[in-house]
Formats: sequence, C-alpha cells, structure tokens
Amino acid sequence: MTESNPPLPRAKFQCRGVNVHYATTHAIKDNDIDIYDKSVTSFIGPSGCGKSTFLRCLNRMNDTIEICRVTGDIRLDDVDIYGSDIDPVQLRARVGMVFQKPNPFPKSIFDNVAYGPRIHGLAENRADLDAMVESSLRSAGLWDEVKDRLSSSGTGLSGGQQQRLCIARAIATQPEVLLMDEPCSALDPIATEIVEELISSLGETYCVVIVTHSMQQANRISERTAFFHLGELVEYETTHNIFNTPKDDRTIGYVSGRFG
Amino acid sequence: MLSWVALIVVLMIAGSFFASQQRARGVAQGDLAALHSRPAYHGAYTALWVAIAGFGVLVLGLLLSNIAIRSALFAAIPDSLGPLSQIERDLIVSDGVAIASGEVASRSDAAREAVGARYGTLMMVRNVGLALLTLGAAAFAYMRSSAQISLPFRARNRTEKIVQVLLMVSAAIAILTTIGIVASLLGQTLAFFSDIPITKFLFGTLWSPLSGVHSGSMDPDKVGAIPLFAGTLLITFIAMLVAVPVGLFAAIFLSDFASQRARSIIKPMLEILAGIPTVVYGFFAAITVAPFLRDTGAAVGLTISSESALAAGIVMGIMIIPFISSLSDDVINAVPQSLRDGSYGLGATKAETIRKVILPAALPGIVSAVLLGVSRAIGETMIVVMAAGQGANLTANPFEAVTTVTVQIVALITGDTEAATAAGPAFTLGFTLFCVTLIFNVIALRLVRKYQESYD
Amino acid sequence: MTEISMTPAPSIHTGEAAKARLKKRHNAEKRLRAYGIIAISLAALALMALLYNIFARAVNVRTEHYITIAADIAEDENDFLKVVKSAAKEAFPFASGRTQRRQVYGLFSDGAADDMRNAAGAGTLETGESVERRFLLSDDVDLYLRGTFGAPEERDAQGSLTVTEDGKKILLESTAADFNAAVGVVKAGLAAQAERLREEAGRQTAGVDALTTRLPSLEGPELEDTKAQIEGFQAKRAQLLAQADALDATVTAQDSGRMKLTNRMPSFFVRANGGILKLTEVSNTTALAKPLVPSDGTQTGAWSLFSLDRPETGRPVKDFQVALIENLRAKDRIEAVTNWRFFTSSDSTQPEIAGIYGALIGSMWTMLVTFSLAFPIGVMAAIYLEEFAPRNRWTDFIEVNINNLAAVPSIVFGLLGLAVFLHFFGVPRSSPLAGGLVLALMTLPTIIIASRASIRAVPPSIRSAALGLGASKVQTTFHHVLPLAMPGILTGTIIGMAQALGETAPLLMIGMVAFITAVPEGVTDSATVLPVQVFNWANASERAFDMRTAAAIAVLLGFLVVMNMLAIILRKRFERRW
Repeated sequence: MTESNPPLPRAKFQCRGVNVHYATTHAIKDNDIDIYDKSVTSFIGPSGCGKSTFLRCLNRMNDTIEICRVTGDIRLDDVDIYGSDIDPVQLRARVGMVFQKPNPFPKSIFDNVAYGPRIHGLAENRADLDAMVESSLRSAGLWDEVKDRLSSSGTGLSGGQQQRLCIARAIATQPEVLLMDEPCSALDPIATEIVEELISSLGETYCVVIVTHSMQQANRISERTAFFHLGELVEYETTHNIFNTPKDDRTIGYVSGRFG
Repeated sequence: MLSWVALIVVLMIAGSFFASQQRARGVAQGDLAALHSRPAYHGAYTALWVAIAGFGVLVLGLLLSNIAIRSALFAAIPDSLGPLSQIERDLIVSDGVAIASGEVASRSDAAREAVGARYGTLMMVRNVGLALLTLGAAAFAYMRSSAQISLPFRARNRTEKIVQVLLMVSAAIAILTTIGIVASLLGQTLAFFSDIPITKFLFGTLWSPLSGVHSGSMDPDKVGAIPLFAGTLLITFIAMLVAVPVGLFAAIFLSDFASQRARSIIKPMLEILAGIPTVVYGFFAAITVAPFLRDTGAAVGLTISSESALAAGIVMGIMIIPFISSLSDDVINAVPQSLRDGSYGLGATKAETIRKVILPAALPGIVSAVLLGVSRAIGETMIVVMAAGQGANLTANPFEAVTTVTVQIVALITGDTEAATAAGPAFTLGFTLFCVTLIFNVIALRLVRKYQESYD
Repeated sequence: MTEISMTPAPSIHTGEAAKARLKKRHNAEKRLRAYGIIAISLAALALMALLYNIFARAVNVRTEHYITIAADIAEDENDFLKVVKSAAKEAFPFASGRTQRRQVYGLFSDGAADDMRNAAGAGTLETGESVERRFLLSDDVDLYLRGTFGAPEERDAQGSLTVTEDGKKILLESTAADFNAAVGVVKAGLAAQAERLREEAGRQTAGVDALTTRLPSLEGPELEDTKAQIEGFQAKRAQLLAQADALDATVTAQDSGRMKLTNRMPSFFVRANGGILKLTEVSNTTALAKPLVPSDGTQTGAWSLFSLDRPETGRPVKDFQVALIENLRAKDRIEAVTNWRFFTSSDSTQPEIAGIYGALIGSMWTMLVTFSLAFPIGVMAAIYLEEFAPRNRWTDFIEVNINNLAAVPSIVFGLLGLAVFLHFFGVPRSSPLAGGLVLALMTLPTIIIASRASIRAVPPSIRSAALGLGASKVQTTFHHVLPLAMPGILTGTIIGMAQALGETAPLLMIGMVAFITAVPEGVTDSATVLPVQVFNWANASERAFDMRTAAAIAVLLGFLVVMNMLAIILRKRFERRW
C-alpha cells in the first residue's frame, strides 16, 4: 500500500451509534464509522471483540439469529438499511458476503456460481448465465482451474479453490459491497496469498470490508483499518497510520503484539 | 418347586458373597493391604461363580428337559392307534399334558390318559433331578472358588474377566436374536416351499390357503400372495401420501420457520402422536375414521367399504407423520449453518435457501426417513388388523377392502386352524415381511450413515 | 492475475423488475410457510380428533346404573340368580307371557347376582324378606339410560283425556289434537312406503321396456311367453301404483280416521294415572293404546306423552322395557353410581361387568419380566460396545444388527417367540413369561442405543482421571462412567418400556389374545395385557364394549403419559452438559 493517504472516495456506509445485544450480552457498543467505496477496509482486533458481529450488521445477517438485537443508524448510500421499508433479501443481494469457512453448496461448480443470478433473475437466458458464471470465475481467478469440470461438485475443490469459488459466487450476484469474514483463516499460506491478491484487486471495483485476525494481512491489502476492542471501535484510520502511528494505548498494545 | 430352587440359589449367591468376604478377611488377619484384592472382590468372585453355575444349570436343564420330555411324550403314544398325522399326535400330547395338570382336555381316552400319566412321572423326575443338580452345581462352584482365597489370589482381575465375558455375552444376544428370527422363519418357510412351488406363492393371484385343507396339504393354486402384497402396497402408498408431505412440511416449518416458543409446543405434540400405541390408532381407524369416510362417501354418492384401504391408510399415515417429521427435522438441522449463511449472504429468501440448498443437501437423510417410514408401514399390524379387511381382494381401488401380509399372519396364527397347518403360510409371510423390511432398513441406515459422515 | 470484467450496476437489485421479482419470491416464501402451518395443523387436528373420540367415549364408564327393588334373601342363600329372578317377578307382577317375562329378566345384569354372592362371601349381605337392594342393570338398559338409542322426547298434553276400555285395547280421547305428532309420524311412514312402491313400479316398467325391445326378434312360443311376461309386469305395476295412490290419499286426507303405528315407526307412549300405555292406532284426537305398565290406581287426570324416535325394531331395548324403565325412573328407583367395578373386575363376555383388573396385573407381570431381562442385558451390551469392544468388523456387525433389529416389524418378534420360546423351549402359552421374553428382545435395541449414547456423552476426561488413579477399566466403568450415564440410560429404558407396554401385535402371536377371566398370580399363568384387552374389546360385537375399550385406552394412555413424564423429569433433572 502507498505510504500517503489514498484519495477518499465517497462513503458507502455511514454508521452512527450502532449497538448490538445478544440476549443479555452487549456485543457492540455505540460505534460510528464511515466505510468508503472502491477500497478495502479491514476490521482487526482480538477474538470476541465484535468485529464479525459488526460486519454481519452491514447486510443484516444478524436478522437470522433470533436473540440478536441491533439498534442505531446504518446507512448504505444514505438509506437506512434497518428502515421498515428495507427488504433484507434485497439488501443482501447488494451487500454480498464471504465467510470464514469456505461453504460451497453441495452442488456443481457451475450451479454454485449460478445460484445468485438464478434466484435474482439476473440472466435472460442460458448464454447470459454461462457468460456470468465465466466472468465471475475469471474475476475470482478460478476459471482456468475449473473450466473443464464445471459440472463436478464444488465440495470436491481444495480449500483455497473453495474459498475463491465462494468469492466468485458472491461476485456473480453483482453486489455493490463485499463483506468478508476472515476469508483466509481456514486456508494454507499459498492459498492465502492467492486470495489476498484477489481481494486487493476486487477493492478497485467494489467496496470491500474484510475482518481479519492477521495484522500483516490487513497491512498488505487494505487502505483503511478499524481496530475493535471489547465491542468498541477504538481507532479507525488509514492502514498506514494505524500500524505506524497508532494513537490509542490499546491499539499500540495490539499492533505491537502485546496482547490479542 | 423349581421357583423355590431359584430362590435358594439367590440366597446361596448372597451367602457365598458374605462368606468369602469374611474368609478373605480372616486370611488377611487384620492386614487388609496384604491381600492382592479387597475382600469384596473375593466375595464377588465366589458369588459370580455360584450364580453362573446355579442359574446356568437351572436354565439349561429346563430348556433341554422340556425338549426331551416332549419327544418322550410322542414316543408314549400307543402304537395300537395306527399311523397318525402330526396334527393328531400334537393334539393327543397336549390333551395328555392338560389331563396331567388338571386342566380341561378336548377329549379324554386311554391313549391320552397314558400320555398324561407318562407326563406326570417325567415331570416329577425332572423336577427332583434338576433341583438336586442345580443345588449341587452351586455348592460345587462355591467350594471350588472359595478354596482359591489366599493372600496373592488375584480375585479382582478374575472377577473383572468374568464381568467382561458377561458383557460380551450380553452384546451377542442381539446377534442371537437375529439368528433366532432367521432360523425360526426360514425353517418353516423352507418346509412350506417343499410342498408348494415358490413361484405359485410369489406370483399367484388367489389367496385362500386354508380352504379345503386336509391333513396339512394345501392347494398350490390357493396360496398366491399377490393380493396380499398388492393390499399392503396400496395401504402403504396411501399412508405415505399422508405422512410424507405432512411430515416433511412440518419438519421444514419446525427447523426454519418456527420460533423457539412454537417449537416447544409443536415438538411435544408430535411426540405424543408418536407415543400412542398402534392398537389405539386401530381403534380410532375402525370406530371413527372408517365410518366417517363411509358416510361422507355415501353423501357424495361414493361407495366406500367400512373396511376400506383408505381408512387404514390414512390412520397409518397419521401414525407415521411424527416418524418422518422428527427424522427429517434431525437431518435438516444437521445441514451446517454455514450453508444457510452462504445462501442468505447471497440474498436468497428462506424459501429459496430451503428448496435449493437445504433440501438437496438433506436429501439422503430425508430419503432414508421415508424408507424407514415405508418399512414401518409395511410391518404395521394392529391398524390393519382392526381396520382393513380379511378377504384377499386384488384391487387398486382405495375405497374397497383389501387385506395385508400382517393381517393374514394374525388371521392364520390366531385362527381356529391347527397350529401346524397354519404355521407354514404364516411363517412364510413373516419371512417375506422380514426380508422386505430388512432391505428397506439396510438401505435407509446406509444412506443415513453416509449422510452423517458427510457432515461430521 | 485477475481481470475485473464486471462493474456493478447499482440499479440491478433495486430496479422495478427486481422489485416485482422480489415480491414473487416473498410470496413463495409465504406459501412454504403456509404449507408448514397447514401440515402442523393437520397433525394437531388428527391428534385432537383421536383424543376427543377416545375420551368422549371413555367418560361414560365413570358410572353404572342400578335399579332398587325389594328382594327376599334367605340367610343361607346360594342361588343368587334365582333371587334376582324372583325379585324381578315380584317387582313387575303384571308382566304376562314369555316375551314380557324374558324382557323383565333382560333388564338385569348377571352382575346383580355376582354382587350378592360377593357380599355374602364378605358377610355384608343384608338378608331377610323384602330387603330393598340395588341391582345392576344390563348393558343395553345402561346404554338406553345414557341416551344411546335416543332420549325420550316429552310432550305435554293440551286437552283432557277420557279413557275407555275397548276389549284388550284402551281407547284414549283427548279434547285437543294431542296425537297430532303421532299422526304426522304415521303419515310420513306411509308416504315413504308409497315412495318405495313407486320405485318398485319403476323397476317393473324397466322390465317391460327391456322385454318390448326384444319382441321383434322373437317368434313362436317364445314370443307368446314374452308377451305374457310383459302383461304380468304391467299388471303388477298397475297394482303397485294403485297401492301407492291409496297410501298417498290417506296421507293427504284431512281426517283419515285412525291409522296404525307399526314397530318400524317411532314409538309413542302415554303416561296416565300412574301407568304407561303404548299407542297403536292414532287419529288427531283419539288413539288406541296397549297398556304396558298398569295404572297404580291414582286418578289425577293429568297426563302426558313421550316418544322415542328410534323404532322398536332398531334398538335392543323394547317398548315394554322402556315403559318399565321410564316408570321406575319417574319414581327415582334408578340411579347412576360411580363405577369402581371397571377397575376391580377382570374380563367378561358381559360388558357391564367387564373390567381391566386382570389385564393390568397381566401387564404388570409382563413388564416385570421385560424389565428384568432387557434392562441388565441392554446396559451390559451397551457398556461392552462402548467401553470394551475392539473397533473391528465384529463390533460393526453387532452394531448394524442392533440398528436393524430396532426396525424389524414387531409381529416378526411375535413369530420368533412362537417358534422359539413356545414350541422349542416349551414356555407356557399366553403367559407373561412368554410375552415378557418377546417384548424384552424387542425393547433391547432401544435400550442399547439410548445407553450407548448416554455412555458416549460421558467425557473421556473422567475415564482418564479414574484410570490415572490406578482404577482398573472395569472399576472405571462401573464406578464412574455408569453412574454418570445412568439418567440417560434410565430415560431410554423408560421410553423403551413405554413402547413395550403399548405393544400388541407380537403378543397376539403367542396366544395372549385368549379370553382369560382369571387374574394371573405369576409369570407362568395365562394372562392378557392392557393393549390386547383393548384389541379384544374393540372386536367384540356388544356396543357397550365401545366405551370400555375407550376407557381401557384412556388408562393405557395414562400410564404412558406418567412414564414419559418420568423420563422427561429425569432428563431435565439430571441432564448434564459437558
């Protein structure tokens, strides 16, 4: 990443006073953050700091958990995504998600990628769909590896390939934002490197938000980094500043490896 | 008399435990640490041997002597009666036994009196002999094992060895049961097919095995089981038509739509449905559902028999609903949350997630649940005995009465016909039933095992 | 390494087309949800219907009906059937002829004599002349009193009644049209009869038509025969139609005189002067009647009518018996008493004295045998398979075996019991021992599977801790693992026992279906069990067995509920999450 501050694109997400409760636990405490388009933003912090929870607020994945309650104001392109007229299904089509553990459906590679276009009716015809699948797989850098076996099962791929398949699947839905919840934590170093490169390049087109355990990874791929601790957003800065001139004591402790 | 013997053996077991424990204490002379095993193990070792010897001899003796006495009684039938059929010989023996034990015999004559007298003496000898043998064996076991008590005797290890053997024997009973089932069914089945060609049984369309039976020989043209198979199939089909959609939709609702509160009401309700004995379902079918269907049919101009396949099938379907729903609920819940998340994360609705991701993933498990349900429906007895017909009627019309394999087994075994005559077709039907359900079960269990492995 | 070929178009998920599509998709979701709700409602409805049908019938068993009359009971009486007969004769001296006398005796149950015999045995029988005593009524009367054959419909009389004897019959004349309802019934009956005659005439016409079409193809004697046949049909038809017309004329006539009430029509009774009469011929204001219960001499002048909709031929309780019962009911001589008999007596061919005591004891013995075999063997097998068995093909085979046995139809276990226990080993037929053995084999897989799951749930750390302290493997298992697994094992065992308690089919195979009135005193006596009792009663033809079947089911379900509650409590109370 560059040493100087990158030019700020417009804020895709504006979050103000976000709180999350699980039954009796206060998981996210009054956080404010702006997330910018066409860039990669990292959430870092020790385990259980709420970074994944916060990520799941951005496409309302927390709705599927019965005991979870989200309050505050999260705006996507100036529209409150928790508003009563917002359909979470539509929202999730715009804000795609990739998970920690690769979770390809037990279907063929083609069907995995075509899943989003099919349910959202994005393809006019079969040729259209074929084109979408191909371009998504190309974007995810998987096309050359799987083009000869599109009809074999997605679960038969290696871990890194599976994760790239999941990314391709997310891209195929044509989202505006890509949320990634520790996408490399289940992968070996070589696969990690490939996926990291992919994420960096995706940041040129999409608004990418990535939760990561690894500070090196955040340093390598993201323009901006947010540090969470015990449900609190401690510091949010350009990646360069977070790692080189952190202001908060907790951030200093974490990035210098004293805890976490 | 023998129950007293059993009681004495129990007392001997308890006595030998305490005696040996005491004896071990005596050997140790106050220094218990000098013993390799604690006194209780010496006691347990002796008691176990006494129990094995006493009860082993008693049970084995009972079984063997019963068999021996039976053959002796057949031998006691006077030759002067001339050649007799097996059925007549059975009858003479059972009457003789009845006379000897003061019960009512169907007929009383010299031959039966003779058999009765013979039975009396044999039982007397058996009881006294077995009592002496049992007590002797127990006493011998006590003396042998308590003589071993000494400081270095490894009573604990020996006891544990015995316990382990007993545990293994217990586990082997499952296999013995299967062997028993196969052997008892197969024996009669083979005997049945020695008289009747198997093709006549499997492909004949006329079932009336006991009509015109003279001394055990059947008309091969009247043992065609096709009407029974067809009837069983028809009722099973109706049952699955009810149970599969209702059970599956209920499972889907429970796993992905119902709130915690709704689940806590619906699950126990389904469990109650599962816990109701089949005889109760049979009563419900016969006294409520069948008349209701008949009257409803009459109101719209349909002739529905009061023993229609429809009534039995519907009630059987109700019985199987909880079976399908709980097994499907299990497999649907076993689909990892990550797959659901993946689908929701792409903006799929719940319905799309269920239809396109969860159901295909859970399919092997659901198929296995359905197969187990089918196997259950095929083998279900009480509902069809009480609500389906007796007449072997070859039809696909659900409004008519049909009969099933299980109904015919019950009719043959509990009917008035001589047991030896009815056993042939009954056990052959039983064996067919066992084989068919076994195939379904094996396939279903394979599927579910594979399914579990794929998500472990 | 990658090329970005797609730029997200912001409107693709928010445009009009997407919105329309989204609506469809949400509707599909609502449909799926609705299917789920429908499925669960159907299951709930079935359960409700089943339980309602059983309990609505079962509640009838809570009472039985008695009649109080005087009887002469000698000090050393032993023929109590005769006592009942003579008391009945005494109470209804006016019953004349064999039919009426038989109907009088038919009011009483054999249980009436049994009760006296039991009381005499216990020394509590009150003896002497004209002792007022409660006598148990027969099942049919009991059903009548419950309104099974329709409740009598009371009709107040409007006019005043003049009674004149007319030979054997009695002529009733009212000042108002009090017999209107009866006339209506007769007319409806006649109209229905006319309808039937016309249908019959229609069939004759069809016959004529069929024969007429054949005429051209016939010749010679055949032709003549057919013509004669046709004429025969036509004559018959004319006759039928004439009869029907005559009936219709009677029905429509303003005053058609007195008309006959047959026993295929509803019955009408008149209460007057303490007696009961049955109407046989009626017009609007007059009627001929047959006395059933003679007047007791009171001359109040007040009178009333009552009717039973169901014709006499359609019910086991005849008009004479109805008159006797209604007469005594009006005098408070008939009462409903709490029915303990159902719980204290055994099976009987007579429903009113049949009970479940014998079956309960039989079930108890059977369960005792089942438990004492299945529990230890099941737990020991589970311990072996979980703790001691090497993981090899042999144990795999046992495991597959157990899973398969759990799904083998229960009737097959019955055949096994018949062939092995009864025929080979000579276990007594229809004994709790035979039943218990079969049910034990059936329950074993359930107990083994539950026990294994429970033993597996005990964390390995507990085993390591015990082994680390120098305990042997057997000690570890029996001192540490088994006690911790016990709640789960017991829960599984109770559920298995509950299944066994409700099991019927295999017991039919080993002869437990036999009719047994004696209470079993041990595991080798002939016995029946509760579910088999249910089956036997459900097959019985007497209608009064219906409610007893339902009540026996209610008792069975009661036991199952208690057992399952116990299992749930055990699970809740001792459930441990490791």
